[in-house]
Amino acid sequence: MRLRLREEKHRRDGQRLAGSELFGGLGERELRVVEAFAHERRFLAGEVVFDAGEEGQALYVIVAGRVAVHADSQATALAELGPGAFFGEMGLLDDVPRSAQVRAVEPSTLVVLPRTDFERLMASHARIASSISLQLARHLGRRLRAMLGDSA
Amino acid sequence: MTLHGSRYRPGPLVWLGNIAATCLVLFFFQKILWLVVPFVLALIIHYLLAPLKLRLVLRGVSHDAAATWVSGLAFAAFALLATFGFPRLLGDLVNLHGTALRYVGGGLRLLADALSDLEGRFTFLADGSARQMLEVQLGSFFEHFAANYLPGIALGVAAWSPTLLLAPFLAFFMLRDGWRFRRLLLRAVPNAYFERSLYVLDAVDRTARQYFVGLLQLTVLDTLCLAVGLWIIGIDGALLLGLLAAVLAWVPFVGSVLGCVLVVLVAATDFPGQPGVAYAAIGLFVAVRLLDDFVFMPLTVGKSLNMHPLLTVLMIFVGGAVAGVPGLMLVLPVLGVIMVIGETAGLLLTDPRLRARHAHARALEQRRVWRDLTLD
Repeated sequence: MRLRLREEKHRRDGQRLAGSELFGGLGERELRVVEAFAHERRFLAGEVVFDAGEEGQALYVIVAGRVAVHADSQATALAELGPGAFFGEMGLLDDVPRSAQVRAVEPSTLVVLPRTDFERLMASHARIASSISLQLARHLGRRLRAMLGDSA
Repeated sequence: MTLHGSRYRPGPLVWLGNIAATCLVLFFFQKILWLVVPFVLALIIHYLLAPLKLRLVLRGVSHDAAATWVSGLAFAAFALLATFGFPRLLGDLVNLHGTALRYVGGGLRLLADALSDLEGRFTFLADGSARQMLEVQLGSFFEHFAANYLPGIALGVAAWSPTLLLAPFLAFFMLRDGWRFRRLLLRAVPNAYFERSLYVLDAVDRTARQYFVGLLQLTVLDTLCLAVGLWIIGIDGALLLGLLAAVLAWVPFVGSVLGCVLVVLVAATDFPGQPGVAYAAIGLFVAVRLLDDFVFMPLTVGKSLNMHPLLTVLMIFVGGAVAGVPGLMLVLPVLGVIMVIGETAGLLLTDPRLRARHAHARALEQRRVWRDLTLD
């Protein structure tokens, strides 16, 4: 009974990441691996997830709720992200301080993948690393196209 | 670690706090002396097996199953070794009393011969009959040693050794539940401090891992160097002696001297009338010690503890004064871990933005729980 409950929890945990943009390309087994390193955090509407200028120690995947990305203390949001979206990846990839502030717009549940675990997964699990790299490349490509579209 | 682009440097208060906290922790360890050795062994076993467990987790095995598999395999390997090695060890232990006295006798003969030699060279020693005095004093000590001290030492060792069985037990639970404990700790951390806490836990884990794995690497290197040297000199059981001396060296200063004495006793007993062998063993010990301090240590254990050499030496003395031998053994890893925690605590407490964010989150929570509550 306890084992079945635990398996059910694993399945549910895997599903919450399966719907995300970053981990959507992973199979059930790989999702279980990522879940083994992930943490869940809940934020209230208006609560700051991280500030611009901080050293990034984790990347975030939105499971529920919405967050807004603000350029340093600007009231107007640069973007709003909803369930399935991810953020905070640039701090891990570039090893530079956070470039923007992220704030929860409504009560939100986020899955957090710490820097060391993210780097460990990228270094030691080829399938997960290739899938994440592909999704990151697509994500950055979309962002670049959007920027070019805006400037045009 | 940076804070809004500027690098944080701990002030004198944080440093004083780190040193005071280290002394307090050592004082606490002093009260549970019997736990120190199994705990250190458990940490070493844990850090040795953790990469294997991680590999299984990365293959999709759950944390619990991975810990069980890895611990099971390690236990099987140990049981296999024990099955073959235990009868011989038991035989050696039965003869321990006689063996110990034989080696002590060998050491005394070497000392007496060395004094005779010195008396021949220096007349003031001969006039003072140094050898005769030494023989009388040591003779009376060892005449009563077997009756007065040996049973107590043997009883102490027999009472203390079962605690070593705790080591695999502790290591298994560290391996199985370490990640749960980490999650439990992180769950208790407010959102504002979450990322910094991730950094602290990683840094503490990294420091402890580097220290204990480094200690093991250092032991292997010391064992190999001593074993090769003793084998060249021609002493029997070179590998076992090298291992014993290397393990004794875990205790700074005292351990190295004990290891050296042990090897010299064996050399003096196995080669009576050939003091050159014992002197060669002492020379080898000094050479390995120098290699250890200037080459091996910076490459292994030293990497984990980024601290000033003067502070390192001072803290070893402080550790010894506060908690005796366990203090000597534990002061450096404890200080390393406390330094990371202290510096981060200093950073958290002196960061007004993080405190403001936490206060803001608490105000939001307060507003949420009060929202539908009105007083008539």
